[in-house]
Parts: sequence; structure tokens; C-alpha cells
Amino acid sequence: MLALITRRIMTAIPTLLVIILASFFLMRLAPGGPFDGERPLDPATQAALQQAYGLDRPLWEQAWLYVSRLVQGDFGPSLVYRDFTVSELIAQGLPISLMLGGLAILLALAIGVTAGLFAAVRAGQAADKTIMMFATVATALPTFVTGPALALLFGLWLGLLPVSGTGEGITWLIMPVVALALPVSGAIAKLTRAGLASVLKQDHIRTARARGLSETKILFKHGLRPALVPVASYLGPAAAGLLTGAVVVETVFGLPGLGRYFVQGALNRDYPLVLGVVTLYAALIILFNLFADLIYGWLDPRMREG
Amino acid sequence: MLKRHFPLLIVLMLVTLALLLPLLLPWNYDQIDWDAVRSPAFSGSHIFGTDEIGRDRLARLAAGTQITLMVAIAAALVSLIVGIAWGATAGWIGGRVDEAMMRIVDGLYALPFMFIVILLMVVFGRSILLVFVGIGLVEWLTMARVVRGQVMALKQRPFILAAEAAGTPSITIILRHILPNIAGVALAYLMLTVPQVVMVESFLSFLGLGVQEPLTSLGILVKEGADDMDMAPLGLLLPGAVLVVILVCLTIEGERLRDRFS
Repeated sequence: MLALITRRIMTAIPTLLVIILASFFLMRLAPGGPFDGERPLDPATQAALQQAYGLDRPLWEQAWLYVSRLVQGDFGPSLVYRDFTVSELIAQGLPISLMLGGLAILLALAIGVTAGLFAAVRAGQAADKTIMMFATVATALPTFVTGPALALLFGLWLGLLPVSGTGEGITWLIMPVVALALPVSGAIAKLTRAGLASVLKQDHIRTARARGLSETKILFKHGLRPALVPVASYLGPAAAGLLTGAVVVETVFGLPGLGRYFVQGALNRDYPLVLGVVTLYAALIILFNLFADLIYGWLDPRMREG
Repeated sequence: MLKRHFPLLIVLMLVTLALLLPLLLPWNYDQIDWDAVRSPAFSGSHIFGTDEIGRDRLARLAAGTQITLMVAIAAALVSLIVGIAWGATAGWIGGRVDEAMMRIVDGLYALPFMFIVILLMVVFGRSILLVFVGIGLVEWLTMARVVRGQVMALKQRPFILAAEAAGTPSITIILRHILPNIAGVALAYLMLTVPQVVMVESFLSFLGLGVQEPLTSLGILVKEGADDMDMAPLGLLLPGAVLVVILVCLTIEGERLRDRFS
């Protein structure tokens, strides 16, 4: 277990470095800069600003400076939100994005595993086919359609939920989380059903039946655990999908999360902000993949060595 | 046949409509009807009404569907070519090369790819060409994995060994004997890639980073509709419905095809 964690962290560092450097040089290739406003600044001011932020130095030197500060936890100043450092912007946005993503994955797991379980128990029957049809439809639902559609139905027409912003209580979370969770829950339902249907045909289940165990015990104690292995390996890609989905959901529902800062930052050429968010996202995805591997090992002890 | 491939029929019908409607309608997708700004559905010559600056909704819907599908097919082909080249090379050579090439694929899978694509769009301007090259370059990973698996399995088959023993050059074996045998599976995954690409393209366009005005796509129409949904829900619901129907139908057909070949 510990070996796995250390090895993963060892490979994570070069991966992160590649992502950071790739994004760094990619951004600098872009025409235009953070100080191009409606009116061009006078050349002296422009030069002074460039110098103040170190943008006049050679690119490799800037890259080196950025990485060495990053190691010390310093994401640098935002070039567009002048009064804030990137760390402050991240501290504002991250909790919202994490809450959205975390709740969405929990909801997706709850719906997906339950639906998959029902379908597998009724394999081949009408209920199975209906559930799987719904799951397929759910996986194909893009958040940027379901988000506004939900807002239209429950926000504008029925007036039950707030259309945008983070209001009082938790009602503002409902629609964004549902829109995010739907496609993931469909995929989880399919994986759970496929996993469980094949596990239920195996010998150890037949043995358990022969020994007279109750169906519920067979299902939950002997069937579900191995059946969830494919679900665990899907959690990594799912996390990446949720982070991307969060960008849309935050835009649609006007939530001040990280995703919005990322899109705004990219459009405004706010180099440190974009780099900071990309780095953070990459680290989160790597972390979540590690977490998924640990669950994987817990579900299937044979995997722990590999 | 007809009943089994109902989803595919729906998509084909939508494609036909998207191609034919612009020829039949009296309005162009970017033409402004100054006398009928924000007109409701079924008013005069505007079957679904007009948007907030007086452009015919149906004409825009047809044009948007055309662009979205065009980008999707082009990007899916890019992913097909890159995926087959990468997967077949790794699978055929095997050993260390295979190990290294698949490690790269695994590594890329774990990346926050959408963010890199967003950066690409910002950096190199938002040309439609770049939209599908960018998307195609992201979506080839699954294809590469699948193709590699197939090639690995085929490599052991007697007819390939026979071809090798007869001294056929590798490139000929791959082109003449391997590729025809993986065509079915590749087709299934191509079909599954198309909805993926439609999703990514619309996502980018929705954020204002994909296809640019005056061109339009389903993603742009959804975005415009969402911004104006309190005044005209039809603007959101129409392109949203077309998009979802295309995605769902192609996914169902693609999964069916995949299950048949695996």
C-alpha cells in the first residue's frame, strides 16, 4: 500500500512538471498579453508593468522562477484581478468547485450503483432493459444542455429553485449537482450492471446459493464487492469529467468556482491564474486517480501487489 | 433492419433535414428579418420564429447542425487515423516500444485534457480547422488502446505468421492483413467517438471558444438560447433537443456495434 503511494507520487512529480511547462510555454505562444486593454498603454508604463511582473526576462528564466516559487506554495499574483494573488482566488473558488464535484460524485454513485444493482438482479427482463435505456440516455446528456434546461424548468417556470448564484441554504446546489451527476450516474449504472451480472454467474455465488445463503446476503456480501472493481477504475476519468463539467455548470449557474476563473483567465491572458488552476486541476486528478487505485486494491486484494 | 436501426435512421433523417432545409427555406441562417425580431413560432415564413435579433430559428438550427456534424466527422477521422497508427505500431512492434507507447497513452488519459484544448483554442485563435484538429488529437486515445489490443491478438494467428514466414514486409502485413480485420471494431469506436466529439465541440462553442460567429453550431445556439431563455424558451429547447437526440442515437448505435464485435 505504502509502496504504491510512494511510487505514484514519484511518477506524479514529473507528470505535473510536464503539464506546468507545457501550459506555460503554450500560453506564452499566444499573441496578446495581459495588459492589452481597450486603449493601448503608453510604452513606458507597459515596459514598467512588464518589468514589475518579470515578463521582460527570457522565457526559460520566467519558467524556472515560476516553478521554484510554486514549490514553495507561491502561485504568484493575478495579472488581471490586480488586488488578488492567485492563491487568494484559488482559496475563494476551490471550495465551491470541490463541493460541486464531491456532491456530484456521491450522488452519481448512489444513483448509479442502485440502478445497476436493480438491473443486474432482473437481468434480461423488462426492468433491466428500461433501466439500461435510461442509463444510456443519461450518459449522453451534456451538462450545458441539462443545466440551462433544469434552470428553465425548476427555476423560471416552477419557481422552486434559485436560477443562479449562491443564495441562502443549500437549494442553490441542487440543480448544478444534478446536472453534473446525471451523465456520470448513467456510466456507473452500466458498469455496475455489467460487473454484477458477470459476477453472479460465477462459481462462488453458486456455492453460496447451494449453502442456502439469503439472496440479499449473496448480493451485497459476495456479489457487489467484486462487481464494483470496474466502477472504481472509472472514478479517475469520472473526476476529470466532473472538473470539466464544473466549468460549464459554474458558468451556467453563475457560481464563483475555479472553472470560471480558468475560462476568464485564459481569455484575459492572466498567465499565473491559468497556470495555477491547471496545476491544481492536474494535481487533483492525479490525487483522485491514486484514491481510486486504493479503493481498487481494497475491492480486489489481488491488485494490491501490482 | 429498419426497426433495429431506428436510432441511426433518426440521425440520418436529421442530417438530411440539415442539408435540405437551407435550400428550401426563404431565410439564410445569418440573415436578419428587421420586420420580425423575436417573432413567435409559426408566424409568417418563420416556422419556429426568430431570435432576439430577427434571425430565422429553423435556418440557424439547420446550419448549426451541419457545422456540428461536419466538425464531429472530421475530428473523429483525425482520431481514427492517429489512433490506428499509434495502436497498430505499438501492438505490432510489441516489447519495450509497446510498453513506452502505451505508457504515454495512460499518462495522457490522466491529464485534464479539456483544459489543454481550451488553452490551445485561446492560443492559436479559434479557427474551425483547429477546433477539429484539437479535438481529434484528444479523442484518439481510446482508439489507440482498442486497436493495439486487436493487433496483439491478431499477431498470433496462423495467417499472419504465415505471411511473416513468407517474407512479407511488415507494412504490407499491417495494411493488407491486419487493418481489414480490425475495420469492424474500429468502425464501432469511430461511431462512439462521433458523439464524444459533438459533446466537446459544443462544450467549447458554449464557452465561446469553439466555432465563431457568423458561423454557428449547436453549442453556440444552446448558449444563445440559454442567455435568452426567460424571454424565448424555444431558443434553448430546440437546439438542446436536436443535440441530445443526436448524442443519444449515435451512442446507442455505437454501443450496439461495439458489443457485436467484442
